[in-house]
Amino acid sequence: MLAIPVVFLVTLMVFSLMHMLPGDPATVILGQEATPEAVAALRAELGLNKPLPVQYFDWLSGVLHGNLGNSLVDHTPVAQLIMERLPATIELTLGTFIVATLIAVPAGILSAVRPRSLTDYSGTLFALCGMSVPHFWLGMMLIILFAVKLGWVPASGYVPFFDDPLGNLSAMILPIIATGLRESAVLMRMMRSSLLEALQADYIRTAYAKGLKERLVILRHALKNALVPVVTTSGLVVAGLLGGLVITESIFSIPGFGKLIVDSIFNRDFVTVQGAVLVSALLIVLINLLVDILHFIIDPRIKSGKEVG
Amino acid sequence: MSRTAADSVPTPDQTQTRRESQWEDFFRRFARNKLAVAGAVIFVFLILTAVFAPWISTHDPIYDQDYSAILQSPGHNHLLGTDDLGRDTFSRLVYGARLSLEAAVVSVGIALVIGVPIGLVCGYFRGFWDEWIVMRIVDAMQAFPSLILALAMAAVLGGGFGNAIIAIGIGFIPSFVRITRSQVMSVTNQEFVQAARAVGANDWRIMFLHVLPNSLAPILVQTTLAMASAIIAEAGLSYLGLGAKPEEPSWGSMLNVAQGYLTIDPLLAFWPGLAIFLVVLGFNLLGDGIREVLDPKLDR
Amino acid sequence: MKKSWLIAFILLLGSSLLLGGCNGQQAGTDRDEDTINISLNADPPKLDPAYSSALVDRMVFQSIFDKLVDLDQHGNIVPMLAEKREISPDDKTFIFHLRKGVKFQDGTDFNAEAVKFNFARYMQPDSVRRNELKLVDHVTALDPYTVKVQLKQPFAPFLAVLTDRAGMMVSPAAVQKEGKNFMNHPVGTGPFLYKSRIKGSTIVLEKNPHYWRKGLPKVNRVVYKVIVDPNVALMNLRSGDVDITNKFPPREIGRIINDAQVRVINHESEGYQGFHLNMAKPPFNKKELRQAVDLLINREAIAKVVFGPAGSPAYSPFVPSHFAYNPDDRPETPNVKKAKELLEKAGMKNGFTFTLKIPTTPAGQQVGQMIQNMLRPAGIHVQLEKVEFGTMIEQAETGNMQAVALGWSGRPDPDLNIYDFLASTGSQNYSHYSNPQVDRLLIDARREMDQSKRKAIYDRIMKIVHEDVPYVYLYNEHDVSGLSKNVQGFQYIPDGLIRTAELSKK
Repeated sequence: MLAIPVVFLVTLMVFSLMHMLPGDPATVILGQEATPEAVAALRAELGLNKPLPVQYFDWLSGVLHGNLGNSLVDHTPVAQLIMERLPATIELTLGTFIVATLIAVPAGILSAVRPRSLTDYSGTLFALCGMSVPHFWLGMMLIILFAVKLGWVPASGYVPFFDDPLGNLSAMILPIIATGLRESAVLMRMMRSSLLEALQADYIRTAYAKGLKERLVILRHALKNALVPVVTTSGLVVAGLLGGLVITESIFSIPGFGKLIVDSIFNRDFVTVQGAVLVSALLIVLINLLVDILHFIIDPRIKSGKEVG
Repeated sequence: MSRTAADSVPTPDQTQTRRESQWEDFFRRFARNKLAVAGAVIFVFLILTAVFAPWISTHDPIYDQDYSAILQSPGHNHLLGTDDLGRDTFSRLVYGARLSLEAAVVSVGIALVIGVPIGLVCGYFRGFWDEWIVMRIVDAMQAFPSLILALAMAAVLGGGFGNAIIAIGIGFIPSFVRITRSQVMSVTNQEFVQAARAVGANDWRIMFLHVLPNSLAPILVQTTLAMASAIIAEAGLSYLGLGAKPEEPSWGSMLNVAQGYLTIDPLLAFWPGLAIFLVVLGFNLLGDGIREVLDPKLDR
Repeated sequence: MKKSWLIAFILLLGSSLLLGGCNGQQAGTDRDEDTINISLNADPPKLDPAYSSALVDRMVFQSIFDKLVDLDQHGNIVPMLAEKREISPDDKTFIFHLRKGVKFQDGTDFNAEAVKFNFARYMQPDSVRRNELKLVDHVTALDPYTVKVQLKQPFAPFLAVLTDRAGMMVSPAAVQKEGKNFMNHPVGTGPFLYKSRIKGSTIVLEKNPHYWRKGLPKVNRVVYKVIVDPNVALMNLRSGDVDITNKFPPREIGRIINDAQVRVINHESEGYQGFHLNMAKPPFNKKELRQAVDLLINREAIAKVVFGPAGSPAYSPFVPSHFAYNPDDRPETPNVKKAKELLEKAGMKNGFTFTLKIPTTPAGQQVGQMIQNMLRPAGIHVQLEKVEFGTMIEQAETGNMQAVALGWSGRPDPDLNIYDFLASTGSQNYSHYSNPQVDRLLIDARREMDQSKRKAIYDRIMKIVHEDVPYVYLYNEHDVSGLSKNVQGFQYIPDGLIRTAELSKK
């Protein structure tokens, strides 16, 4: 229930920010050749002459009736714009998450099981490098290597998955790797440290004492416990990606959700920005909910008690 | 940005008397941690480069435009080649260290100066303001995609390097509030603080003399890691065109320029990215090292 | 409460994935001969000629809409939807005889009433076309296929205006049906009809089976793909995912000569780039300071360094291929000593500082930095401020600037490239320039139908303008497109816009 005031605050924040931006939407939208009358007419039509609180509550009441409004630029319903842009970002997020998990979980386990070993050190080093690489730079380097020099994949050219699955995958593979590598580093560190901690717990020692095979112990007991913080981190990773993919999307020309928000900020398309940020805040709330549910599935003793920190 | 620091919270000593030996201990353990030392070396190297930029660089980073030597590959005249206006890439990289250091220090400084006191007061007094106002705003700011928040704020402030840094700093505030607050809460619950409160000592005195000093460790770790994020964020904003002025040799805007020549001169994009990578790696190593040194659990 | 949100969002996610999938652009990457793929360097903001203010919009319009008259490859005005025209001796009355049997893509008839409707629509207060048609007094339908347009004053560029957006005929029925949403369902008489689009990504057009030009269009589909980076567009051109690109990386032009797959079309555009000096504010309220800035700029260097073969230096709003261009009108060689003398005359011996607002594009930033460097020796310090295009226009209009780098994409008639920028009452006179003599000459020029006499007037105007320097002309950025060698039937038209009806593929 706490989520509702938060989402409300987010809408208020984004509304205020948007209206603080220099640049009048009507002038921006109409461009160089517009007459002052045209600008005035558009301002009136868009309701930009009304007092700000009125504008905000008009918008909010629309949202509460399920209407995100229409784009200031071209009157397209904002809901439709979001629907058009979400699939690419969701695909990118899921792909990133899959790549990250595939790398992070095994690597984290190997590191934690043999701490201070060569595997552990190389894992740690990989993770640190992965965290430190600016992913937009990594994206460019991947383009140079695989698209320009080797010509294995197109440098860009997003197509929706259901139109052309192969074309889609070949266009998405580089961006997914570019972001996946970084996120895998974050997840791997989490995996390693929480598993290390879990392995030191009393019950693991008990399990050892009972004579179960090491591998079984690790997988059954320690891993289960170690997964809780990992799931939390995964939630943060996914939530961060939804809006954080802007740069990846712009390097690889993917018509995604982040790019919609940024383009709309540049166009002063307030209504679209407000709607898109609202949706992303709701998605983040939803992801937190999913994380709670997952916690409960992994360890039913947890009573959706969210950490304070 | 904050998530990396949250995974372990060191428990500080309770008594003040041992603080001096604590510092000695800290440095001894720090010196033994190879990765942390490597991070410190990179950090010192960054500072030296920034300070001595005029002596290290071979050309003027801004005004030494040579239209007859555009996009040259590395050679004897230009160590790392030239950019699209015939400027020396090496010299621009060297001066870029200044901007990156500034971005890291100023933005995190803003977050510290605003975030830590708020976290301290909230964590110590708790209550309605903490629970219903401050923490909800913090939640809301964190439910905002962070890059987009910085981007929108940089746009509101009117772009430019200084404004971009301020925007990044504001974006870091919530994580500092959270970290300080949770640490302060756990310290406040400890016996010596509770005892002091019980005998009626002044709250502000307790806060600044007992609680804050014992809460510094995770804040220090977070500061280092946030500096790493700040450098990437500044580069990201400059890359998107909202950061440094075109002539300023920010590594991010150098990448922005280089992207137009990926096919012709891929090296142009390579160098600034490498510089960002190394410096960020340095901060991350340093942060990790400090955390490990401060956290006895991890040191086996 | 929480649960219903959850369900709502799972539905939203699911449906958005599905919608994204079925968004009807089967064209995608198909490479068959029936589809022409054209890359655009920006997403067209508004597909409605009445509200469009972007160059890329006009690219797509060429496929969807026909105009009353068009340009041919030499820049002459030729019939299109108006088969014949008569002009009264006082140059104020135009009678258009319309082509018969033309239908809009929605099946409704194109006739005199439709033309009248379109004029009225473009002249509404909120239309961006209003300024171009300001001198139209009234439009009458004489019979179903004859239209009379009465001007208030003679207006030499009138026909040239009608070759562009103000002459594009949209379906009145569709406008009445869609209202403001027309831009998302545009309907014209053109060779291709609007099918679908994904904002920021693709626009799919399909063959208009009832197109009035027999045997055209030659292909079944045109797909516009938004590819912002011209390097990436070139890669797509090489791989065959794109057949035509509307922008070409300048530094690749020299390298492409021997390419077996790609042809480069490199022509001067009709426009110019440069920067306005705000004469209403210090420092540029002083003529000498403006002259000093103008004098220090090396236009050759800018064009060469930034654009290579894809740019040429400019010193006037007219391009060399144009009748109004004066080959003797050349800038002085940059001269620091003389510039310093000018500064001294203005009482600014030690130089001064001003802020130049520049666009966020790579070229804009490069040019800005070169200007900064060129003015420095005289002690003129330039603060560069990157501003997004929209904000820049607003700041230019409100006069909230000292200097602003805003260029013009150019139009076929010289009046459209000079009047609104230099006339005291001009809509884009961001310099706040006001010279009664120039005002008078500008009006004379737009009333003069004889080309050589008009040129003489423009020569006189430019002489005064170079003395006053309200605007520093810098360079002409060429229209450079890349063409796959498979593409046939391509014809360059001086407005730089790609006509798609006759394109086909081997």
